[in-house]
Amino acid sequence: MIEILWFIFDIMLVLLLLALAWTTCSTQDVMRAVTLFIAMGLLLAVIWARLKAPDLALAEAVIGAGISGALLLSAIKDYPSNLMVSHRSPVMRGMINIFTIALTILMSWAVWHGIEMSDGKRLSEQVASQLSISGVSNPVTAVLLNFRAYDTLLELAVVLTAVLTVLILNEKRADHKVISPLLQGMTRWLVPLLVITSGYLLWVGAHAPGGAFQAGAMLAAAMILLQLAYPSIHQGFNLYLLRLLLVIGILIFVLVGLWMMLLNDDFLAYSPAWAGSLILIIETAATLSIATALTLAYLGGRPTGWENGLKKSASHKDSHTDNGRVK
Amino acid sequence: MISEQLLYSLAGIGLFAIGLRATLLHHMLLPRLLALNVCGAGVFLIFIAIAYAGVENMADPVPQALVLTGIVVAVSATAMALALGRRLEALKDE
Amino acid sequence: MSDAIIWVIMIPLLGSLISLTWSRYASFIAITSNMLALAASIIIVRQVYQSGPFIHQLGSWQTGLGISLRADALSSILLVMSMSVISAATFYASTYFTDAVKRARFWPLWLMLVVALNALLLSGDLFNLYVTLELLGLSAIALTALSDNRAALQAAIRYLSIGLLGSLVFLAGVALVYTGYGTLDLATLSNVVQASPLSQVAFGLMTAGLLIKSALFPLHFWLPSAHASAPAPVSAALSALVVKVAVYILLRLWIDVFDPVLTPFSAMLLGMLGAIAVIWGSWQALQAQRLKLMAAYSTVAQIGYLFIFLPLIVALPDGPLKDAAYTALLLMALTHGFAKSAFFLSAGVIQQYCGHDRIAELGGTARALPLTIFVIALSGVALIGLPPSGSFLGKWHLISSSLHAGQWWWVPVIAAGSILATAYVFRILGHAFAPGEGVDQVLKWGREEIPALILALLATLILGFGSAGLWDFVSQHNGFPGG
Repeated sequence: MIEILWFIFDIMLVLLLLALAWTTCSTQDVMRAVTLFIAMGLLLAVIWARLKAPDLALAEAVIGAGISGALLLSAIKDYPSNLMVSHRSPVMRGMINIFTIALTILMSWAVWHGIEMSDGKRLSEQVASQLSISGVSNPVTAVLLNFRAYDTLLELAVVLTAVLTVLILNEKRADHKVISPLLQGMTRWLVPLLVITSGYLLWVGAHAPGGAFQAGAMLAAAMILLQLAYPSIHQGFNLYLLRLLLVIGILIFVLVGLWMMLLNDDFLAYSPAWAGSLILIIETAATLSIATALTLAYLGGRPTGWENGLKKSASHKDSHTDNGRVK
Repeated sequence: MISEQLLYSLAGIGLFAIGLRATLLHHMLLPRLLALNVCGAGVFLIFIAIAYAGVENMADPVPQALVLTGIVVAVSATAMALALGRRLEALKDE
Repeated sequence: MSDAIIWVIMIPLLGSLISLTWSRYASFIAITSNMLALAASIIIVRQVYQSGPFIHQLGSWQTGLGISLRADALSSILLVMSMSVISAATFYASTYFTDAVKRARFWPLWLMLVVALNALLLSGDLFNLYVTLELLGLSAIALTALSDNRAALQAAIRYLSIGLLGSLVFLAGVALVYTGYGTLDLATLSNVVQASPLSQVAFGLMTAGLLIKSALFPLHFWLPSAHASAPAPVSAALSALVVKVAVYILLRLWIDVFDPVLTPFSAMLLGMLGAIAVIWGSWQALQAQRLKLMAAYSTVAQIGYLFIFLPLIVALPDGPLKDAAYTALLLMALTHGFAKSAFFLSAGVIQQYCGHDRIAELGGTARALPLTIFVIALSGVALIGLPPSGSFLGKWHLISSSLHAGQWWWVPVIAAGSILATAYVFRILGHAFAPGEGVDQVLKWGREEIPALILALLATLILGFGSAGLWDFVSQHNGFPGG
């Protein structure tokens, strides 16, 4: 009986998800599409929780739906047109439809076979057998920061690359002119709460759902809220410190990795006795970098004065080196 | 357990296909970006569906970690695409 | 000593971070870290030469649970090629960006591109390949957008959306592999993979994703605009390396991992597309109005040659003939890498001195920039495949492998491609030697011309005469070291 109820619940979740995805992709109004997309993200968070992936449910809610949604919403006004219309010819549309249907059938057939041919355990037993010497007891954190820590290191590099591009291309968006006392009042108690939650998620990630990415995104949410309520707050921020915060996650990660290579021959081979503390150190630095990166990405560009130091030295230097060069 | 794995992985494939179709149909940046994100969510769902091991058991942690990485990569790419689009609009105005 | 495999990735990564925080000394930091990484890549190739392929098990976890980095003949040689091209482009870039702000923006991203290239060549794990592909794609796009004009941004956006689609399709294949085989490690996978519906679809998806990234006809449409509108040192890296490493992964998957799944038909199909790419790309290159666009279309053609090798390698029996085809493929890739980067750097010099790169208005440049035009002629020799360049040997073996495999129909394609290449190279030289006053000052042995000269000499003379050792090296030390 219980199983049938679960099954009905599953079917409903799946149908709702597909319907949301379909409308997100086929609605004509961008604003509506973004809203539906955020709703789809929240539904996905529910589905992750249903499939016993609570770390992911948290991450999806904060990053997938939250930060992505905020980025998309704030970007809508950068574009003149709010319409989403496909310009493909009917023949082309037909071909695309046939192609995707054929691909769906092929992939379904393959997954069917794949689930049958697998032992159903895959890598989970290996993880379970080594979990006790990984330094943490949350297996997802163990995979992210120990077994496959190198992936996570490169992922931080991806985040840095993306945010550098954001900083290079644009000035940050103009501040809001309107200051809302209501928002300020809310911010005053919400921000400390978010910061504390972020610290808690970071700490608890070792043995329960949570970790650097969720914590970083939570911290970024606090910073974004602060910026919305007090638009001029970022002006007092030391920009050099900001650069340092951006890179510290990768820097600590690499230094720990190299140090462990010196001690134990292999890159990122933590000594089991220190593994827990090393992971916490790496995660703390990563949280700071992720929070800084996501906040800057939300601002949409470089803060005022980001490249100031350079321009001074540049004008001084270029007057000497550029003489006579044909451009 | 198998039936849930199958149901959700098929849903993942469906999501992937919907996103793929819309990516191929649209030319403009924002719709394409949304479509690509839907497409990515589909792939993530396949991973998590096959990680599922029943209500009582712990799900396979490896796909969870992979998808977490994937989500962060997707957000980074989204941020970057939006920045490119914003700069292009600014240059069009000049 | 296998530590070099870590340093070659971590040095540019640290360099990127330091050049970002300490941007006033960014050029110095970038050049230093490139030199160190080049040294590390040479240590790696030496080690493979002396003691065969090796593994670095990250975190000391057993294969499968952890990620492993692997080096063999193919990956280590490509690594040295990549680091040499990058080093030359780095020296060139230090003179190319005259504006200090632009320079400070360029270096951290450039070093990130180096990290991605090296990490990708050494990776032995499917999901890790996805992450490095994304890092490679995003840093390449960021560098393209540095040109900061409408054409470049439009190209960057197109590149980004098609690149993301490619990596997602690849990732879908990875998800299927994990579903069926429960592993992401390439060596483990190569031992267990069998022909089954799952393997075929997964393999197809991964191949499709990589074909987008390697810009095989008809998926090349994003390439010319991006490669033509990026800053010159970036174009050099994009055309010579970024596209090629996607072909490298494809080759790895096709030949080392998914061998049982391969059908001669699919290999033939890719070979056909390669053949069309050779003709179509060369033809478009001949039509192009701008130097950099011409070079970009020529890349589409040169990638095509690499794909013609696939059906041959699949058809030939294991043994010296197959090894020869494999080595010839590597030789073609290396020659194109050096020659095309030399070409783009020279195009950059011309653009800086003439203020444009329109082919029809190149008159007088041979007089004003003799060395640069000489470099263009040299790299033209390599692109056509004239002796003594490496691609002469490569094409020679391509033709002989075709005949050995009984697939004579590739021979006219190769001949036509070479004739078209001759035409587009001589078209440029014809304009360059024509009279005209495009440039008013004469440059002799300019500092910005030297990197391109070295690359062009590598492509024509060194690879042509010095490639003998390559054949033994590849046949002895190739293959994925097991877990």
